[in-house]
Amino acid sequence: MPPAALAAAATLPTSLHEQSPNPIHPRKSAAQPTTQPWQKESARSYGLGLAPALVVLGSITLLPLLTLITVSLTPLSLTNPEGTFHFNQPLGNYAQLLEDERFLHSLWVQFKLSTVGVLLQLLIGLGLALLLDTGSRVASGVRTLFLIPMVLPPIVVALIWKILYTPEISPMHALLEHWGLPVRSLIANPDTALWAIVAADVWQWFPFTMLMVLANLQMVPRDPLNAARIDGANRWQVFRYIVFPFLKRTLVVCALFRLIDSFKAFPLLYVLTNGGPGTVTEVTNFYGFIQAFNFSYWGYGSAIAVVMLAGIFVLCAVVSHLGRNAGARHAR
Amino acid sequence: MTRTTYLYENGVLVPRRKLLTSALAAGAGALLGFPAIATSNKSLKGVTLNTSLYSSPYSKLLRPWIAEFEEATGAKVNFDTPGFPVYNQRADLELSTKGSAFDAVNVTFIYSSRWINSGWLTPLDEYIADANKTPANYDVKDFLEGTLAPERGTDGKLYGIPWQAEVTIAAASRFDALKQAGFAFPQTTQELEQVSKALNRKEGAAGFVTDNHYGWTFVPFLHAFGGDVFRKAPNDLYPTLDTPEAIAAADYFARLLRDCGPDGVVSYNPDQALQSIKSGRSHLSVQGQINLSQLADKSSSKVANTAAWGLVPKGPAGRFPGTAIHGWGIPVGSKNKDAAWQFIRWATSKEILQRAVAAGYASPTRRSDIDSASYRDRQRANGFDIAALTIDSIALSAKQGHMKYRTVAAYPQVDQQLNKAIELIVTNQRTPEQAMKQAQAASIAELRRAGVTI
Repeated sequence: MPPAALAAAATLPTSLHEQSPNPIHPRKSAAQPTTQPWQKESARSYGLGLAPALVVLGSITLLPLLTLITVSLTPLSLTNPEGTFHFNQPLGNYAQLLEDERFLHSLWVQFKLSTVGVLLQLLIGLGLALLLDTGSRVASGVRTLFLIPMVLPPIVVALIWKILYTPEISPMHALLEHWGLPVRSLIANPDTALWAIVAADVWQWFPFTMLMVLANLQMVPRDPLNAARIDGANRWQVFRYIVFPFLKRTLVVCALFRLIDSFKAFPLLYVLTNGGPGTVTEVTNFYGFIQAFNFSYWGYGSAIAVVMLAGIFVLCAVVSHLGRNAGARHAR
Repeated sequence: MTRTTYLYENGVLVPRRKLLTSALAAGAGALLGFPAIATSNKSLKGVTLNTSLYSSPYSKLLRPWIAEFEEATGAKVNFDTPGFPVYNQRADLELSTKGSAFDAVNVTFIYSSRWINSGWLTPLDEYIADANKTPANYDVKDFLEGTLAPERGTDGKLYGIPWQAEVTIAAASRFDALKQAGFAFPQTTQELEQVSKALNRKEGAAGFVTDNHYGWTFVPFLHAFGGDVFRKAPNDLYPTLDTPEAIAAADYFARLLRDCGPDGVVSYNPDQALQSIKSGRSHLSVQGQINLSQLADKSSSKVANTAAWGLVPKGPAGRFPGTAIHGWGIPVGSKNKDAAWQFIRWATSKEILQRAVAAGYASPTRRSDIDSASYRDRQRANGFDIAALTIDSIALSAKQGHMKYRTVAAYPQVDQQLNKAIELIVTNQRTPEQAMKQAQAASIAELRRAGVTI
């Protein structure tokens, strides 16, 4: 359409609604554009529909979060609540955290627990998913068995491993001793305690990755697979160049979920080692728990929680970014 | 128009009708085996009492009897009994918020000063003094003064009614094996180490076991070596964890655990440590008598016929048994305080505690129970008088006053430093000197942070 015609068209009525009173909303001006009432109604309905969810989100997520951040800016101690709920030094807790060796150590322990744990879960989950991706009934039955740890309550998992790790009563230790391979208590040894917890955490959560990858494997397109096989690609090449790129995004999502959850491995730590021996298994949330609940330093405990939250956000952003890049490369 | 007649009851004028109702209710209660505590039958109808106490022999005995309280008063009682650490964390949090979730709670010894002096519990003196709320036969003076003292605040008021007086004692699971090896029951720290080493891994058992709450189990040894937690609690709270005596005690205790303890002993909670000795998987132990007296229980102990008991071993500085008093208290936020008091009065009444003692309860707080033939008979096993050990330990503790450290409001912080220090030494992560100096520095920092002037 030429520009002159466009200008002329702009001055002309474009629909019947502008020429006659609105039959649905008679009081509305006939000069209004026809789409505006509908758009307003739509926006209003959208807002009203969303409002309950926003209220719930605000009350159960944002309000507690704001409370946490606010408390972290105070030296609140429950043994003296009146005297300590003030904001004279809003960043006092954070400054103290920077000098708190036990806190800094807990970050390092958290890093080890999270990275090793999540990597193992991804590797084992991926490996087993590939093995089980046969569609046979046996594989299906085995898959269900693998899901058991994931559906157990965390405290039950912790108790199972407490028994397994207590040499006096442990069938695992008895068996190893029977085979002439006695093993000293893993949770009482500072060199193995953290890895013993990682093993229990991996046992509980690798099925999550396995399940996600298995579901994704069902959707791998058959054509490129067949084409690669016809072209003489071996199993490794098929996996490396066709299957794995297809699974990358799923693995990133699994890593993201497990990474977030790894910061919450509290029951295992509480039951198995209580942060010890010494502080070798004291991760950040456990240290925050001690400060808040054993010593009643809620301000300080909240500051630890806020730092953890920020850390998790950063990690999620990094992992998501990696995932996007991987996806983009795959798309190219 | 009816005329009200008043009569005297315990020196107080009470309407005749009410007195008669009370007498009838008391009579009905007595027939039911229920202590005469309710002023009228079903007086608490519609009231729900939320009570919490950590899991213990007393709580296990009390649980089935609560139905009688409910039957007599009409109240519904929710009786929550989590494990000790879980209970403490839950109660500490709930009390600190001054919430109303609980109507009656255990006043845990280690927290008593903090909970009482922070104003989180209700003074009980008025309830005790009120004859309408507490009949004379409740007899609060029957409780040992040593058990009431930790339940008092700095204001002198009473905030808890003691139900447990725990002391640390020593026990051997296989005294026959000790005797066969030519040993008597170890009386000193030196003998304890000697016997533990000699019997370690013999008869398939470790030499020595104790639980990993070292702020409780290590301190009798710390004292025995001439050390202490604070310079002079409760007035001078400067920590003394890095003194030569404290380092020597930590070295000794960690050596005992590392060289003679079962594999993984630093991960043993009180229940695990108890099971280890009860099942004969460990030879010797120093723990609370509430645990170790269970070795005599033929229904659950594999070593009931061979067990032996003694006082905590004597060190170079003397003998220092640990004592811990636990009591029932009413949170300041409770909305059913009168009803909660009725419950506490019932749960700590002479009748209920006597019944508990008759059923084998080993840690009574009433003088009448401790002196009773029933208690003394129950606490005799294999020729050993566990009751006498308990009484002697309480008397020694009262005389020496060495337990004052434990009711300091900021002790939980120091307690944790002790736990960590012993773990670090046992697992060879630090030398005794390094670990105790670290604990000292951390304790000073924690105390300052808690506002303690040192």
